[in-house]
Amino acid sequence: MNRIDHSADAVSAMITAGVDKGAPSTKLPPGQWMKKNLFNNWYNSAITVVMGALIVALLVGVVQWIANTDFAIIRKSLRLFMIGQYPRDELTRLWVSFLLMAATLGFTSGATAHNAYEDALEKELPAERPTWLGLLRRFWAIVAILVFFVSFARTLPPYLGLAAVFVTLVVTRELGWRLPRAVRDRAPFIGTGLGITSFLAIAGTGGLGRWAIGILFAAWTVFEIGRRDVPSDHRGTAIRAGAALVVGGIAFFIVHALGIEGYGWDDWGGLHLNIFVTVVGLGLGLPFGILLALGRRSELPIIKAASVLFIEFVRGVPLISLLLFSNLMLGLFFPLGSELPSELTLAMIVIMGFSAAYIAEIVRGGLQSVPKGQIEAAQASGLSPGAVQRLVVLPQALRNVIPAMVGQFISLFKDTSLLSIIGVIEILNVSAIANAQTEFIGKGLAVVTYPFVALAFWAFAYTMSKESRRLETKLGVGTR
Amino acid sequence: MNRRTVNTWGQTLGLAAVVMTVIILMGTFNVVTMALALLVAAVVFFVLRAALDLTGRDRSDRPPAYRDVKVIALGAQIFAVAALHTFLAYLWQNFKDRTDDIGLNLSFDFLDQPGGITIADNPLSANDQVNEAIRAGFENTIRIIILGIPLALVVGTLVGIARLSSNWLLQKIATLYVEAFRNIPVLVVILIAWSVYLNALPPANEGSRKPLGGWFIFNNSRFSFPSIKGLDNWEAYRGLMLVALLIAIGVWIWRTYVFNETGTPHRRTLWSIGTFVGIGAVLFVAFGGPFEVSKPFVDESGRIYTDGLRMQMPFAAIFTGLVVYTATHISEIVRGSILAVHKGQDEAANALALSGIQRYRFVILPQALRIAFPPLINQFLNFTKNSSLAIAIGFAEVTAVINNLFGQSQPAPQLILILMLSYLVLSLILSVIGNLINRRLQLVGR
Repeated sequence: MNRIDHSADAVSAMITAGVDKGAPSTKLPPGQWMKKNLFNNWYNSAITVVMGALIVALLVGVVQWIANTDFAIIRKSLRLFMIGQYPRDELTRLWVSFLLMAATLGFTSGATAHNAYEDALEKELPAERPTWLGLLRRFWAIVAILVFFVSFARTLPPYLGLAAVFVTLVVTRELGWRLPRAVRDRAPFIGTGLGITSFLAIAGTGGLGRWAIGILFAAWTVFEIGRRDVPSDHRGTAIRAGAALVVGGIAFFIVHALGIEGYGWDDWGGLHLNIFVTVVGLGLGLPFGILLALGRRSELPIIKAASVLFIEFVRGVPLISLLLFSNLMLGLFFPLGSELPSELTLAMIVIMGFSAAYIAEIVRGGLQSVPKGQIEAAQASGLSPGAVQRLVVLPQALRNVIPAMVGQFISLFKDTSLLSIIGVIEILNVSAIANAQTEFIGKGLAVVTYPFVALAFWAFAYTMSKESRRLETKLGVGTR
Repeated sequence: MNRRTVNTWGQTLGLAAVVMTVIILMGTFNVVTMALALLVAAVVFFVLRAALDLTGRDRSDRPPAYRDVKVIALGAQIFAVAALHTFLAYLWQNFKDRTDDIGLNLSFDFLDQPGGITIADNPLSANDQVNEAIRAGFENTIRIIILGIPLALVVGTLVGIARLSSNWLLQKIATLYVEAFRNIPVLVVILIAWSVYLNALPPANEGSRKPLGGWFIFNNSRFSFPSIKGLDNWEAYRGLMLVALLIAIGVWIWRTYVFNETGTPHRRTLWSIGTFVGIGAVLFVAFGGPFEVSKPFVDESGRIYTDGLRMQMPFAAIFTGLVVYTATHISEIVRGSILAVHKGQDEAANALALSGIQRYRFVILPQALRIAFPPLINQFLNFTKNSSLAIAIGFAEVTAVINNLFGQSQPAPQLILILMLSYLVLSLILSVIGNLINRRLQLVGR
């Protein structure tokens, strides 16, 4: 794109700069820099002038608008935007849950980062220890938006709560980094356990939570049995698996016996609900998605046809039509006389199926990216068809699709806004509710609330998409 | 045992699988029959196998039945069919029970009944049939797609090129635009467009904004644009202009032929547009003006609109929102595929002293298009599906119409089926067209 500059100075500058295209331009004095980057020919000069005028006009307009707008509606409805109609006197629970969520994120990211760092050192690849400043640079948007949101609050607790969340993040990340490798290797399970606990803190121990704990520990047991990287005899395996099972059993019965009443997700709302629906939709969609992808690649015609039919059907229709289906029709498929789940639960079933179909296509891409030689080599070493998939193909395929999966997370997160159409009180619907309050109705404040909602979505989606691009370069997807 | 016998075996088993499937699908089904089916399949297999053994063939190279890949495959399929069928039959039974219970009629007769809904700017009345209402909604969906996709493509391409511009300011602005709107849900983008239009424009009854001497009228219920209004001879003129279009295409082909044969510059675009406009002008004079430009008009109360072309506010909002959102994604695709064109191509074009625009027009974009096309089809499909979000702001496209029909207590299951099928058909048509074009674009050979 850059015109080749034939002047001797520029050529020598390029040579001395190691033909680094970006570097010389930053070191130019302002006059030359402007000449090179803004006014290098007649049409670029014209564009610069027009765009400059445009951006100045836009900035002036925005500043004027902000100065003349009353943000009372945000201040009044801040709690509604963040957590919906969650009972007011139970806020402690919510904070505990947020702290546990922060602990989940902190611990998992610390442990996985240290593992990645060690692996890179071992393979003598360039490894960088992540610094706090670097992390802040990566996640500045979320931090800034959270601080911005809290700044609307007129009371102290939100500030303290947010500070506590940040402190927990820092402490648990350090902890995750410092723990021994054996613990760090099991970070996904520990993290998921913390996450489920954070869910239980709000939802109580009566509902689905204890089953989630049970399933988690069952999965952990299977994982311990299947571990091939630790040389151990049958006794060692049995001890590890037994330990996981016993701990899981105890946890299950503790949770069962505690019997704390809670607030199911029908009482949740706001941004909290958006994030929750995304995490659960993707988490539950993942196993089904992987199964569908394997089914689509299967050589058995019936299984293949069923998978293709499901995937193509779900991908061919808009999410709205699926949500309308959940709202108006899904209840008809439950046995006559049984009590129907809430609208949100029905919607979550549909969202799970929706994300499974999209994940299936992502995973299929990953499966196709595994070279055929890998499968042939695995078969030649006598692995059974199941073991070929489990031990050779899937680990490589799933590693390749991590960035795409983050992309799917973003798009599912954005799609949760559609729940507002079927009446779920998530953040976008809150803006409609806020506008319908008697003191704000008919004042045309949608122009204030919608950008506010947009900002919430933007901060998370932007950070995640940057992360996805970072992971892409880090994992070297598409360059191998 | 030679290869041929193995294949015969496989075919026998395959046949057995098909027969079993048919048996399972035809009968009423439960766990007992599922177990029975598995048992029958096993028996069939072992009998066939024993029959083969009796013929005295060598069995030393065959694995035991439980490890025979064909047996496992067959078992897996029978199991899958049985499980799927059991599950679906269970759901269907529940569905029947529930619909019987509330007395829901599952026939499609309601399509001929009065729909009871009206659509803005559409002659549809409340007495018109349901199927006419749905068709009107579908036409509105197509309207969004036909207007929106080309515009999104143009905007997206320009922004994609702008992000690679050597102009620092332009590049930054384009990046800002993409990063801002790509990460906001499309529904929120549409709603923002809607609320901005509603707030920035005066209500229709308080006087509209009329820029450019009243040729355009903007208020917060409709946008009006000038259009062409046909007079008496309009039909005949339009028919002849169609002929003129064909002649123009002929001229295009002729110029291409001349260029291929003699190498003289073809200038076919200039030639064919010239032909078309020339014939049009001659005919215009000959007919004594078959059409006039119609200036939009709105009365004081803001209710009566005449002349010009009108666009409802919700349409304008969803159109703006979808184009702004989709263009960001298209620009990413365009940028990526331009970067994917080998750098040597650009350098070679530069060495041939092509100008910036020429390099893009003749060297880079044609090659980038080949890379960009498959993901672009995907974006077009997304655009189509996202057009269903009009339901949130009340533009009567097919989803909103069907949602309104629920409100008129029309049966939900059939309507949802129609809704999903209409999008599936749209998706199918778009992807078939896309794949046909894609096949022409791809490099042949090697």
